[in-house]
Amino acid sequence: MTRVRRLALGVALLAAAGALALDMSGRAPRIAGTDHVSAAIFSVALPDGGTLCQPYMTLPSDAQRIEALIGTYGAPVPAISADFVGAGGRTLAAGALARGAREGYVQVPLGRPRSSSAEGKLCLHVHARTKVVFGGEPSGGTAAALVDGQPQPGRIDVVYLRPGRESWWQLLGALDQRFGLGKAPFFGDWTLPFAALALLGVWIAAVRLLAREIT
Amino acid sequence: MRAALARVPRAGRICFAIAFVNAAIWGFVVPPFQVPDEISHFAYAQYLAETGQPPPQGLKGQYSPEEQGTLERLGFFETIGRAGQRGILTPSENAVLERFLASHPSPVGQGGTTSTSNQPPLYYALEAIPYLLSPSADILVRLALMRLLSALIAAGTVLAVFMFLRELLPRTPWAWTVGALMVAFQPTFDFLAAGVHGDNLLFFVSSLTFLLLLRAYRRGLTLCRALVLGAAIAAGVLTKLTFIALLPGIALALLLLCWRARRSQGGVRALALLAATAAVAFVPVALYAALNVLAWHRGGITAGGFAGATGSTLPSGGTVTLNQTLDYTWQLYLPKLWFMNHLYFPEAPIWSTWLDGSIGHFGWLDYTFPAWVYSDGLKLLYVLLALALIGLVRLRRGIPGMLPIFVCFATMAVGLLGAIGYAGIRYQLSTGYPFAQARYLFPLVALYALFIVLAANAAPRRWAPLLGALLVVLAMTHGLFAETLTISRYYG
Repeated sequence: MTRVRRLALGVALLAAAGALALDMSGRAPRIAGTDHVSAAIFSVALPDGGTLCQPYMTLPSDAQRIEALIGTYGAPVPAISADFVGAGGRTLAAGALARGAREGYVQVPLGRPRSSSAEGKLCLHVHARTKVVFGGEPSGGTAAALVDGQPQPGRIDVVYLRPGRESWWQLLGALDQRFGLGKAPFFGDWTLPFAALALLGVWIAAVRLLAREIT
Repeated sequence: MRAALARVPRAGRICFAIAFVNAAIWGFVVPPFQVPDEISHFAYAQYLAETGQPPPQGLKGQYSPEEQGTLERLGFFETIGRAGQRGILTPSENAVLERFLASHPSPVGQGGTTSTSNQPPLYYALEAIPYLLSPSADILVRLALMRLLSALIAAGTVLAVFMFLRELLPRTPWAWTVGALMVAFQPTFDFLAAGVHGDNLLFFVSSLTFLLLLRAYRRGLTLCRALVLGAAIAAGVLTKLTFIALLPGIALALLLLCWRARRSQGGVRALALLAATAAVAFVPVALYAALNVLAWHRGGITAGGFAGATGSTLPSGGTVTLNQTLDYTWQLYLPKLWFMNHLYFPEAPIWSTWLDGSIGHFGWLDYTFPAWVYSDGLKLLYVLLALALIGLVRLRRGIPGMLPIFVCFATMAVGLLGAIGYAGIRYQLSTGYPFAQARYLFPLVALYALFIVLAANAAPRRWAPLLGALLVVLAMTHGLFAETLTISRYYG
């Protein structure tokens, strides 16, 4: 009787572990960073093509492409090139998207990941004399996006994506680093492994207690 | 105190430790201030710690310059409510935050009105202790230590639930552990326990009150029990005004206890015990009310908290009628009836708010599990309801003896449900926003644990512990996936 109960408990735990492993193995595009702007409205319009530049941007070191909400009024998205210019005026990343993507959330390549993150401005060059709008939020002052040098009434939503499609296993290194950011200084790279080990300890303690209580 | 702790079974102490470590892990996982209203709860505690008194309220700065600047550099305002946004993901963003904190912005705010500033100060006074004891004045260090206190209080709730079940089912030890661990791994409970949030103390004091009432019912009302009960009631009222909703049921229970004590101890002694409970409960609350008016000038004996939740005048000039209140409250928990003209909710709250919210609406209600989790959760609930009914029938011989105190518990529950409805329609008609959240029911978490135990008890006697253990493993898995979901929301 006791063995059957413990066996049932063991099977349940294996099922839980298997579900976790399966869930973590799912591959998808993963975020490298955002500009903290959401695509609430179409905030910036390029009526006749041109160049959109957005200041006060942070380029994550692991960004390989950007994603933005682009509207073209049913037409194919024109060719767009992107470059990220650092504080010293040096181009830190650049890439291009060929004509023909469907409007909506569109990804524009940005070159290979770099060794460190950087501050600067992101510029998107629309290579066609057609109206293109970008999703974002209202904004003003020096933070506002510029179209061909003219201030616009908003900023655009930019999501930086890491290369390819990754599983959570592959992302563990990045998660480990991110876990220590934006928290008390004593948190760091140790936090995620520590939390995982502590959680494992909690599970072991709970299962041992249950095993004892049901026998 | 030590003797009381020694009387707690080893399993109870282990449940306490498990709950504390689990909640502390949640505190590591959830980024600063991402627990609902944590910014306001922290602001209250910080103001109290820095000035020695609760926030005066009014149209003035809500947060200290230190908190406001930290929130801005964390990308907090851009992250809440926007599941696609992240906070700090890069070292350069983190460096901006560090530079700001190195400038030593003032931790003293103006104490302006927030969603929590009209609440009583007990939880915030407790949180002021880790705030002041922190070895660093860094706001994020202080927040991390304050979160540990919340985790400790949540563990106290789990222990109270354990002891409640022990008192109720003394010959069924597995039930104590199963019920307590179900609460310890409940993800919405843990999400709140991760943060600086007054509800954590409310859940603890409410669970403790259930335990104390049950213990006094089973073992008789003694002076010690009467005094502790009074202290728990005072602590509840001084924690959050929501606790007032439980008072009619608590009063009924006290009358019941007094009536039972009359037979064993005589009428005079029984009335003296009742008076002792009332006095211990009343004096600290009266002192708080007096301080609000005379010393802190917080705009009334409840600092506007009671009026804020119960005022019937709308900004438009109209008033909320009794019919509207009853209509809304009914629809909040039950299907709309044919004669109810107004539809207050696009979806039935019993599922969309209470069940789905308990399964998990996380963050500032901005991320959830995939839809199939909630539909499967509903099916599981039906199964558990059927099982609990069977489990209750199996315990039928014990029901008559416990019925009176459970009528009191039911009155406490109805009081809470009614208060949520009463405040909810006023909030919804005033602001246009929905009011109810699943956590508002968590003062009844001891009854949730009992529900699970009853469901497990449906199985034949030899298999009931196993069914209970399997339900706990399911709850642990639920909690684990809630954590991975949270990691993907903020860090992925």
